Amino acid sequence: MGRAATWESWRPDPTNPRQHVAMLVDTSECIGCKGCEVACKQWNQNEARISQEPGTYQSHPALDAETWTVIKFFETDAENGMSMWLMQKHNCMHCTEAGCVTACPTDALQYGDYGVVTLDQEACIGCGYCEPACPFDAIHVDQTVWGQKAQKAGKCTLCYDRIANGMQPACVSTCPTDCIKFGDRDALIAWGRERVEQLKAMGYPNANLYGVDEMGGLHELYVLLEPPEAYGLPVNPSLSKTLTLWKYVLQPVGKALLGAGLFGLVLNWLAARRTFKGGLSPHETGAAMHD
Amino acid sequence: MARARGSIKKFSRAQVLFHWFYGSAWIVLALTGLTFMWRGDPTGPAVGLGPLLQGSVGQTLRLVHRIAAVGLMASPLVWLLGDPKSVWPDLKELFAFGRNDLKYMLIAPLYYTTGRGQLPPQGKFNGGHKVNFYVVFITFFTFAGSGLVMWFGRGSVSDAAFHTAQFVHSLSFFLGSGLFLLHVYLTAVHPFTRRSLSAMVNGWMELQYARLDHAEWVEREIRRGTAQIRDGGPAAEAR
Ligand code: SF4
Ligand code: SF4
Repeated sequence: MGRAATWESWRPDPTNPRQHVAMLVDTSECIGCKGCEVACKQWNQNEARISQEPGTYQSHPALDAETWTVIKFFETDAENGMSMWLMQKHNCMHCTEAGCVTACPTDALQYGDYGVVTLDQEACIGCGYCEPACPFDAIHVDQTVWGQKAQKAGKCTLCYDRIANGMQPACVSTCPTDCIKFGDRDALIAWGRERVEQLKAMGYPNANLYGVDEMGGLHELYVLLEPPEAYGLPVNPSLSKTLTLWKYVLQPVGKALLGAGLFGLVLNWLAARRTFKGGLSPHETGAAMHD
Repeated sequence: MARARGSIKKFSRAQVLFHWFYGSAWIVLALTGLTFMWRGDPTGPAVGLGPLLQGSVGQTLRLVHRIAAVGLMASPLVWLLGDPKSVWPDLKELFAFGRNDLKYMLIAPLYYTTGRGQLPPQGKFNGGHKVNFYVVFITFFTFAGSGLVMWFGRGSVSDAAFHTAQFVHSLSFFLGSGLFLLHVYLTAVHPFTRRSLSAMVNGWMELQYARLDHAEWVEREIRRGTAQIRDGGPAAEAR
């Protein structure tokens, strides 16, 4: 489809924050140049972390608290003597039902405008609950043993500061092949479905669109040439039951029971101070006739 | 019948020290752990005390939480090393939950509210103390186990294990704080049972109260000749 000029000029409606935006990565057009990684680091002023895994083309083995997007490289098995590179631009998916938001005890992670999952670093206490709660390994807290002040969670913000001001995310505007598209989520899903059909007709029978229903709907969509697992993406990821139970059953029920218990103690005190006058039991005052 | 003077020794100094060591670590842990419960509407901004407890203040509280956790985990040493002789007999009694204890549990709520009913004679620990101890005993291990998993296991244990630890930690909190509130109420607020507090302050308990609430124990100690009884109230000079 080449450069889709329409996406470049698309802007969310500033008067309608309920509109859901999304990024769509057409992985069939990604050349693995990592321009998006650099743009992300630069715009968000994240420190450079040199940690290339030997034997791969990946700049970083995984995301970390200061590395919010990474192009993951996967090599397919050779077919007719040829193998193929599959590239996945990995970052926070901005889930509709997000594990991280469910796990965060301090409201630092929230569901924000435009469907973006926002992270308020000021409010983050670095507990790290969000890390294992994310099915995509997309949010991280630096691990230091005692220097805890340094620990803050970090993840892709979907450049909320840019899109709220009518700009495109940094990675989107820098991508030389325009394989990262940013726009209205529904429109992008329609576009992605069309693109999948086109790719199938071009001889990629496994082409598929990822992110429409996963975790209640992702705000990061992928046109993939192969099944998701070939890109290291989880198939049917889901919100942990334990976490949901913890958040929506244990916490409210526990708080309610504690409150009820406290109320019961007050009632008991009101009755007991009349029964046990001067701290004496009816047995001591002779009031207990059946003694 | 008015209050007669005279008191009986119930706890050794090491046991008292252990109790308060454990108790104060517990309170610090509960208060600092409360930061984790300050979550209102997930789509709205943090409210109430929330913002105060977050950010770097929250991080500092997290550090305090861990220091107190080490204290709590180490506190049994105070008893084990300070008064090893009492460990086995007391634990044996605490873990023996008999028919009288059950009866006590059923009657006590009514008795301590209305004064009606007849509590069965209790040992050194009554049914309520025992249940309280069981919760403390169990949550000691669930708190420590799940806490250590979250402290040292992040990234190395499976996600499911981490979530389970998170769940177990909170569950222990709700169980423990329910019992904690009841415990504090009965020993510091309730007009009758708060007469037992002195036993955890200087080890001495009003003899008359002990005869009412721990009749079986008092009789046993006197029979064996091991009772330490003195004239004067539990708050008397002798420490
Ligand atoms: S991908 Fe992970 S970090 Fe991003 S919203 Fe979903 S759960 Fe949260
Ligand atoms: S580390 Fe920060 S963002 Fe993550 S769950 Fe804890 S407070 Fe929330």
